[in-house]
Amino acid sequence: MSAEDARTPGPNPNPDARDGRPAATLELKDLLKHYPGADAPAVDRLSLTVPAGEICVFVGPSGCGKTTAMRMVNRMIDRDGGEILLDGRDVNERDPAELRREIGYVIQQIGLFPHRTIAENIGTVPSLLGWPKRQIADRTAELLELVGLGPEFASRYPVQLSGGQRQRVGVARALAADPPLLLMDEPFGAIDPITRDRLQNEFLRLQTSLGRTIVFVTHDIDEAIKMGDRIAVLRTGGHLAQYATPAELLLDPADDFVERFVGSDRALKRLALGRARDLQLLSFVRVHDNDPSDWVRSQLAAADHPVPFPLVVDADDRPVAWLDEHDLARERVRASDGSEVAIVDEDAVLRDAFSTILQHRVRYAVVVDPRGKALGVLSADRIADVLLPGDEQEATAPVHEETR
Amino acid sequence: MSVSALVPPLAQGDFFTDRSAGAGNSCVAGDGLCPKWMVDNFDQYTGPLVRHAELTIVAVAIGFVIAFALALIAERRRWLVGPVTQFSAILYTIPTLAAFFLLLPITGRGFVTAQVALVAYTLLILFRGVRTGLDGVPPETVDAARGVGLTEQQLMWQVKLPLALPQIIAALRVASSTTVGLATLAFFAGAGGLGGKIYDDLTFKSNVVLASLLCVLLAVVLEIALVLVQRALTPWTRAVNA
Ligand SMILES: Nc1ncnc2c1ncn2[C@@H]1O[C@H](COP(=O)(O)OP(=O)(O)O)[C@@H](O)[C@H]1O
Ligand SMILES: [Mg+2]
Repeated sequence: MSAEDARTPGPNPNPDARDGRPAATLELKDLLKHYPGADAPAVDRLSLTVPAGEICVFVGPSGCGKTTAMRMVNRMIDRDGGEILLDGRDVNERDPAELRREIGYVIQQIGLFPHRTIAENIGTVPSLLGWPKRQIADRTAELLELVGLGPEFASRYPVQLSGGQRQRVGVARALAADPPLLLMDEPFGAIDPITRDRLQNEFLRLQTSLGRTIVFVTHDIDEAIKMGDRIAVLRTGGHLAQYATPAELLLDPADDFVERFVGSDRALKRLALGRARDLQLLSFVRVHDNDPSDWVRSQLAAADHPVPFPLVVDADDRPVAWLDEHDLARERVRASDGSEVAIVDEDAVLRDAFSTILQHRVRYAVVVDPRGKALGVLSADRIADVLLPGDEQEATAPVHEETR
Repeated sequence: MSVSALVPPLAQGDFFTDRSAGAGNSCVAGDGLCPKWMVDNFDQYTGPLVRHAELTIVAVAIGFVIAFALALIAERRRWLVGPVTQFSAILYTIPTLAAFFLLLPITGRGFVTAQVALVAYTLLILFRGVRTGLDGVPPETVDAARGVGLTEQQLMWQVKLPLALPQIIAALRVASSTTVGLATLAFFAGAGGLGGKIYDDLTFKSNVVLASLLCVLLAVVLEIALVLVQRALTPWTRAVNA
């Protein structure tokens, strides 16, 4: 029922189908919007293609036309020219309400229905589509779990939720009918930085399994770099200044405007592109509590380890403490003599890994897998190498980096 | 225009009943406040009370239908809000007795004349109540509702009106309380009600107090009924904030 090819034009033959509904391809061609009375167009001949399953971020200064461009896609704003093709079919051929039920919509102000429970809010589009009650209930429960809210939230009202929880519900409502395209206008803009960071990470994780096509609007270049598979930098008047992957944008800004917008710290921003697991980790001497000190010394001497300190790990291979020469004075090593370990998740972006290292005032961090198992050691020097101008290619593809 | 000037064409009889002969009760003869008399004569008041309730409920119901329809029409045609408000404000300021007097040649004495005046009086309160409710719906809720694919009609009936309910019901409460009070004048239009009892014997405290108490009772009952309706229809307003 859902084997339809992503690029097949025309309506979905079964609008109730949701399992594995393919993501859509979105094409904007010479898109134009000129508000009545305005001197210049808000969006001026904007052309770009968002491939199916990718997150495209519209980024640019306030008032540059991001929201206008996005809202023309689901016909919340009437365009004045150009084409918008969803899987090859122009959105203007569709009934607006029917079209919008097929396009997820998340806004900064969230706009939950205050008079409806969380479950009813999430089930809005499925019930508009006439799904059977049973199926709506199942889908709602599934989505609550997907966005990390317990089943006890189902019967609550929006006023009883925190800002972050409400935005999770907003995302769940948008995903309810498994839309082939999702429009998100500064979805995490009104949320405190810590919660925002968590929501961004959760959403990225979600997207890995959902693979929806997403247009994501933000004025925050850091958010754009973090969230985007591709970034469209817009300048005032809705002109497309550059459309590129985050790495291309940071390495090779198209012009002065993009360069300034991306920021003078663009080299540092590249640290947000790589993850700890992408770097070649250093090997280290792995010891356990109570190992004989002589044996530890011989281990250190035998192998030519780049890290001159042994790491004490527990029975599950989780890092416990670093030891130094001084700690080896006893006959057997004691973990309690050692010093604290800076630990970095293998999924952490290099920027966060770097800041962990700096916080601990050390040179090395131990990279761990989700279970906490030590995988290898990351050094501050290793991360700094990514920043060196000569190593730019390395930064775009840190996976291929070799140890020296 | 004084009340007495209106009385001859409108009401029959006068405002006094001579009870000095019959009653044989000093409290009654002295126009006092006599609980026993009130209890004994209560059944004389039930008819007027029922009539009073009819006058009030029918007037508020008709007024609501008109005001509600106008408020919905004004949702698409915003320019209507000003004129409708001004027109109903003028109706609101016409003295009720004057309205009866003006209507007599057209609608004659009776229920219809009373209704026209009472309905006209509720329009301002109810129209403003529905408009305030609809205008108070958060714009982001409306935007999101359209954005996820509600049609304009679904938006109105499934989102805007439910959210406007607290203001709408608040307006209905004000309208029904004031109409209970105004309906005491319906008797001048020959439409009966508790006003008839009050003006029958204005000097007899027992009569005036009993009739007035019944007015208050009616207003309170309507008020409670509307509060219960609101509680049943707007459970979200009682959800406790996080
Ligand atoms: N409804 C509107 N009517 C007239 N001008 C508008 C309207 N909405 C936005 N604009 C103007 O269009 C430009 C782009 O706005 P917008 O798309 O909201 O920008 P952004 O989302 O990038 O901040 C701005 O100059 C804004 O003032
Ligand atoms: Mg915007």
